[in-house]
Amino acid sequence: MENLSTEQSLRIIRETLDKSRRSIARNSGKPLVSWGLLLVAFSMIIWQLWARTGSPAWNFLWFAMSAIGFIVQYFLLKDKEKVPDSEVGRMLGKIWMWYGIIATVFFASIWLCVPIAGHFGLGGIQVNLTLVMVLLLGLAGAISGAVLKIPSMEILSAVAAILCSMVAILVDGPAQILTIGIIGVCALLVPGIILQRKAAE
Amino acid sequence: MEQKQFKPLDPLLHSELRLAVMSLLLEVEEADFVYLKKQTDATAGNLSVQLDKLSGAGYIEVEKTFRGKKPCTLCRMTDKGHEAFLTYVDALQSYILQANKQ
Repeated sequence: MENLSTEQSLRIIRETLDKSRRSIARNSGKPLVSWGLLLVAFSMIIWQLWARTGSPAWNFLWFAMSAIGFIVQYFLLKDKEKVPDSEVGRMLGKIWMWYGIIATVFFASIWLCVPIAGHFGLGGIQVNLTLVMVLLLGLAGAISGAVLKIPSMEILSAVAAILCSMVAILVDGPAQILTIGIIGVCALLVPGIILQRKAAE
Repeated sequence: MEQKQFKPLDPLLHSELRLAVMSLLLEVEEADFVYLKKQTDATAGNLSVQLDKLSGAGYIEVEKTFRGKKPCTLCRMTDKGHEAFLTYVDALQSYILQANKQ
């Protein structure tokens, strides 16, 4: 038996767990930052294009953002340090995977169903897509903060979701899109930077 | 007079490298040899020997597989290993409690 003191044993356990958690945090931070940057960039682009042309059809660019996002993720995952699956990492992955699926399917079904319903005389359906997206993003961000035990991420995402959803109700037209950019900063970009900083400490 | 109650420390876990490996596996579902080597800063030979000891005691499962064309050794903690680790930490705490009382 090695001559380890109780303090040394506890130090080994603590340091090993800390090191492992930092690796997991570093790997969780990168995707949040990349999706946050994409969301901010696309909200600015769509806002400008919609404002200048007057056509809400530019919202279809969100699908392009998803495609670019998945390509970026592929290269991030390819280059990243191989970290084993942890309970926290898996939960984070699931939260954002389901956000992506629900948001994409909901967005696509509204854009497809509303014109079809109108064709059959069921027009007049008004759906505030931005409001739904903002609430979903804020919720996913707040739950991620809870899973990662980062209270600032939880609070920032929740407060941003509440404020941006109010703005999304009150403001109509292209400017509404900017709320998605704001929530992207609060629920993805800032938490991602916090995670990466924590990992670097 | 109160009798000191020192719980015995599991000699298999009371080793720097084996303890580090078990701590790492506690957090994750499974980890490959390369990750364990990097996280513990151990040499491949030493790590391999310690993994064999842990596996022999039934504390971990070692699976030799392939990732693409590259061979890959995956390690995961067993229920027996989990229980042994918790008992070990419990024993450490009893030592610290006794030390604080004195």
